[in-house]
Amino acid sequence: MLKYLKKYWFYCLLAPLFMMGELSMDLLQPDMMATIVDDGVLASNMEVILSEGVRMVLLVLFGGTCGVLCGVFANIAAQEFGNDVRKDLFSRIMDFSFEQTDRFTTGSLVTRITNDVTQVEQMVMMSVRSLVRCVFMFVGGIVMLYRQSPRFAMVAACGLPFVTVIVVFTLKKVSPLYTVIQQKLDRVNAVMQENIAGARVVKAYVREAYELEHFSEANNSLCDTNLQAQTILAFLNPAVNIVLNLCVVGVLYVGGYTVQHDGSITPGQTMAAITYLSLILMRIVFFANIFQTFTRASASWKRIQEVLDTPVVQREEIPEEAQKEKHPADTGMPEMAAKVQAAQQDSSFTGAGTACAADVNRKGEIEFRDVSFAYPDDPENPVLDHISFSVKQGETVAVIGSTGCGKTSLVQLIPRFYDATEGEVLVDGQNVRTYPMQELRDKIGIVQQKAELFSRSIRENILWGSEEEEVSSIRGASGAPEGTNGSGQEKQMTVSDTDRNVREMEAVSRAARIAQAEDFILRTADGYETQVTEGGHSLSGGQKQRISIARAVLKNPEILIFDDSGSALDLKTEAALYEALNREFAKTTRIIVAQRIFSVKGADRILVLDNGRICASGTHEELLQNSEVYREICRSQLKKGEIGA
Amino acid sequence: MAENNGNAGAASAPKVDLRRRAPMGQEVEKPKNMRETIGRLTRYFIQAKRLLTGLLLAVVAVTVTSLITPSLQGQAIDAITERSWQEFRTVLLLLLLAFVANSLFSLAQTLLAARLSQSIVRHMRYDLFYKIDHLPIAYLDQHSNGDVMSRMTNDIENISNTVSQSLASLLSGVLTIIGTVAIMFWYCPQLTLITMLTVILTVLVTRFMSKKMRVVYRRRAAALGRLNGHSEEMISGYRTVLAYNRQERTKEEFRELSDSLTKEGIRAEILGGSMGPLMNAISTLGFVIVAAFGGYFALQGMITIGVISAFIIYAKQFSRPINEIAQLYGSLQTAVAGAERVFELMDQPDEDNSGTEIIENMQGNVSFRHVNFSYLPGKQVLYDFNLEVKSGQKIALVGATGSGKTTVVNLLMRFYPLDSGEILIDGKNIMDLKRDWLRHNTAIVLQDTVLFSDTIENNIKYGNPDADDATMANAAETGNCAAFIRRMKNGYQTVLKQAGASLSHGQRQLLNIARAVIADPKILILDEATSSVDTRTEQGIQDALVNLMKNRTSLIIAHRLSTIQDADVIVVMDKGRVVETGTHDELLQKQGVYYGLYMAQFAGNQT
Repeated sequence: MLKYLKKYWFYCLLAPLFMMGELSMDLLQPDMMATIVDDGVLASNMEVILSEGVRMVLLVLFGGTCGVLCGVFANIAAQEFGNDVRKDLFSRIMDFSFEQTDRFTTGSLVTRITNDVTQVEQMVMMSVRSLVRCVFMFVGGIVMLYRQSPRFAMVAACGLPFVTVIVVFTLKKVSPLYTVIQQKLDRVNAVMQENIAGARVVKAYVREAYELEHFSEANNSLCDTNLQAQTILAFLNPAVNIVLNLCVVGVLYVGGYTVQHDGSITPGQTMAAITYLSLILMRIVFFANIFQTFTRASASWKRIQEVLDTPVVQREEIPEEAQKEKHPADTGMPEMAAKVQAAQQDSSFTGAGTACAADVNRKGEIEFRDVSFAYPDDPENPVLDHISFSVKQGETVAVIGSTGCGKTSLVQLIPRFYDATEGEVLVDGQNVRTYPMQELRDKIGIVQQKAELFSRSIRENILWGSEEEEVSSIRGASGAPEGTNGSGQEKQMTVSDTDRNVREMEAVSRAARIAQAEDFILRTADGYETQVTEGGHSLSGGQKQRISIARAVLKNPEILIFDDSGSALDLKTEAALYEALNREFAKTTRIIVAQRIFSVKGADRILVLDNGRICASGTHEELLQNSEVYREICRSQLKKGEIGA
Repeated sequence: MAENNGNAGAASAPKVDLRRRAPMGQEVEKPKNMRETIGRLTRYFIQAKRLLTGLLLAVVAVTVTSLITPSLQGQAIDAITERSWQEFRTVLLLLLLAFVANSLFSLAQTLLAARLSQSIVRHMRYDLFYKIDHLPIAYLDQHSNGDVMSRMTNDIENISNTVSQSLASLLSGVLTIIGTVAIMFWYCPQLTLITMLTVILTVLVTRFMSKKMRVVYRRRAAALGRLNGHSEEMISGYRTVLAYNRQERTKEEFRELSDSLTKEGIRAEILGGSMGPLMNAISTLGFVIVAAFGGYFALQGMITIGVISAFIIYAKQFSRPINEIAQLYGSLQTAVAGAERVFELMDQPDEDNSGTEIIENMQGNVSFRHVNFSYLPGKQVLYDFNLEVKSGQKIALVGATGSGKTTVVNLLMRFYPLDSGEILIDGKNIMDLKRDWLRHNTAIVLQDTVLFSDTIENNIKYGNPDADDATMANAAETGNCAAFIRRMKNGYQTVLKQAGASLSHGQRQLLNIARAVIADPKILILDEATSSVDTRTEQGIQDALVNLMKNRTSLIIAHRLSTIQDADVIVVMDKGRVVETGTHDELLQKQGVYYGLYMAQFAGNQT
């Protein structure tokens, strides 16, 4: 954490410094008041009142300015700190591999970046501001009180332990209750959620009364615990107040007694003492608050650190042979490493052919050599079991099998979302592990099972995967070589904006047509400019799938992978989609993962996956003849089944 | 601001806040109809009459005691100055009593407020849930937004806390202001006017600042919203981000959003942070003015020093509620707007519950006669729909999505009312039948499985809570789920977490079937029960369904034609009309719509 604060050490130093200025005002003020009362009012000296008054106002102005400046610097330090942490955190998360993201779960990552960062930010703020203030106020208050009279300090010393005990005791009692409350609240919400989601079932089985009782139970239990916590807390303030006010009475008594007996204390001092006393005792309550923030923040920081300390894995490995074969010269190696690094860091990818791809020509060949795979969190159960096959350029290969047979895992190995545990996956003859990652993924357009759309316009969603420059340049003729280099791009940049927009729009609408999405897009109120709501709730499953297909198509990849991405389309649309792909992407290697026989029938080759193994492959007709598993799938989908729904 | 206690009398401790606050930025939400909503809220408060009266009494007591103490404290100081020790002791004793009384009353106030707000939370939440349980399906379909509902549960807590706290603050605020001004006037009208000036200055500055602050806070809240939205979308969509190599772009976008949030945040916090010192300065200024004039008046012999001391405290007591009330107004508005949302839902009409008849010895003949129906006016879904189902028959409804298949189910279950026409069961209009009785005799299995976070036993017995364990075991056997339940460690007592998220979809569907079995309905409806299950699991479910459909009138809605070929009657629907009826073979021979659908599924992708 210090690492992040170091950059802002200056502010962290300035803030407490100015705080001292503000504090001195707060601390001196009651003292001056005492002077006004004793030397001014009691001594009937108007001059003292006025001069002290002016001094006091000046002091207040000085203190106020210090206070504002302290706030300014503390804020800059805390928020810039939070900003840095947040950016690093997000950066790190974006560099995570699938496996790492899966392990953290996306929900928890989102809370870390939003809630936890805020907590820590608040802690920094508190440390440089409130904590310093509290400590100085506490110590300063005691000193000032002692200066008025040591006897007053005695009174404070009597009250202090009581306040401390009360605060600590209350917190100890209440804190665990809040965990319970959270659990019970979750329960209440869960019951409600289930009832709304399952309303048809609740009604169909006429269980309203039962559910109401069920809810009532959860609700009452939550309210009871809540009340319990609030009851404990209710005692805190009055208890602290009683101690505080007893001390005030004590101070008055001591003051009165001393004035009466030896006169070493004045009435003005007694008034000041009351102020100091409440300053000191109140600090305990503030300390408790700070302590709470710190406990919360340190838990948050731990969660942040967990992410930051997770190493980024899964970068390209540079194979030994490649070094020797491709870069015989001594300078080869560093150069390549530099390029690989450039590819990683450069935000705008500058076109294929810069790094060490196996072959500069567009190909899109895929080969699985004896590949096995198990998810990292479950290494005992391999999902893929010694799989070998190869796909030629322009070929359409379909993968079929029941859920959980490893279809999705299989295709996820191609863009290296995960690494094979055994064997190798090769793209264009090169192991994907050594393929520059960015280049590899640029080659591949993968449409995932669950269409992920972002809350922007439909046009922007389709354009999302492609750089604008590329879009306007490549789309003219399909399959044009993509070997644009830096200077080529420069030229395209000079093309006037309107021209580029027109071309961009053409490309988008062409992609949408291929994906069979244009019809419904044009039917929406704003066409391509229609905003997709968060999570895409405004669109149907099939519409979302088609938009994400358009996104992949626009990328003009060498390899197109559909991971069960036509499942929500009706058969007619799906057929039209495949036809369009056949027409426009004849040279592109296509892999289609599906559950429906219908989706795979037209493929050049069908792989039948069963329990992580390829149990048969061939065309539809061949498989009908040779594969029992395939026939069984067909039977259940096409032939006369027993019965069903 | 709380730091400077000036010359504290009955100082009150700052609140210890143990709960997590909302991240940052509070938006004041404006209610549409404040008066009416407050009126309805009041009714909830009046329900807890005794608590409310107690609370109000406690508030009055707290206010009175805290009004007395500064004056007593002033008297004590005066006694010291005048060295009248007899009086000093008496005043001190009175002061002590007043302090203790104040603490006790404020304890009572807090306790009562907590109790009151919890009792209101309890009632409101119960009412809301009751409403949700009795809403027509139409409402839930149109507003199928689970998180709006769950927000309402949180809303309610917020409402009652704010309102019951505001109530106390408002009352004590008004009492304090009146009391303070009265006492101050009694002591010295001139000094009172001067004090009021400083207080008014404070109030004006506060209002000016908070207006400014609202603008910057709103901007910060907006920036925060954008940032959170972006990170949520990108992190949960990270697969796509990775697949399209968009990490750097995304990071860049995040950096921009994060920087703008920081900028807005610093701006807002600086303004907010200046508030404290500024108020501090102003109140000290007031303090000096009171001291100077007070000193002058004291020299003139108009007042005593004790009065000055008391005035300083009173001035503070006076300005606090004014600021509080201003703040209260904002949070009250937000709370009332929340209440408005809750009431809006509560105002929805209940599901229709007319009809009282019951059919003895139900046969299960169902007929739809000239049924017209539309979900939204002008967009008709069913046109003159007619269907006769004999007891024990198996009827299949097929057709493209949007052809109105599911609507037929919604109507038969009385989830939606008809526009015109009638549905008869054994010759009786279902609207004349007792609704719950109708539903008791009709069971549905839907495509989306519904399970509750409860034991498996309770989930199965959901269909018939009175069933004994043997019946349940039988139902599980019939539903083909007994085997996998037995394999679980706790068997039927296994508690399903998160509505059965740990089970496969197929297993969840089997449990749903077992639930329908145990309900033992005369009429069974299967709405795409197997369409999101893969073919191998499907077989098990098919077998379970065969068992389930024995001796019942069954209505099957299917997407995959393969599964309904042996139905007694297949009804082909298109755009809300029945276009063909007949058995599988008849329809194939006819070479009509059904034939087309069938061939598409067979022949599909031959291009």
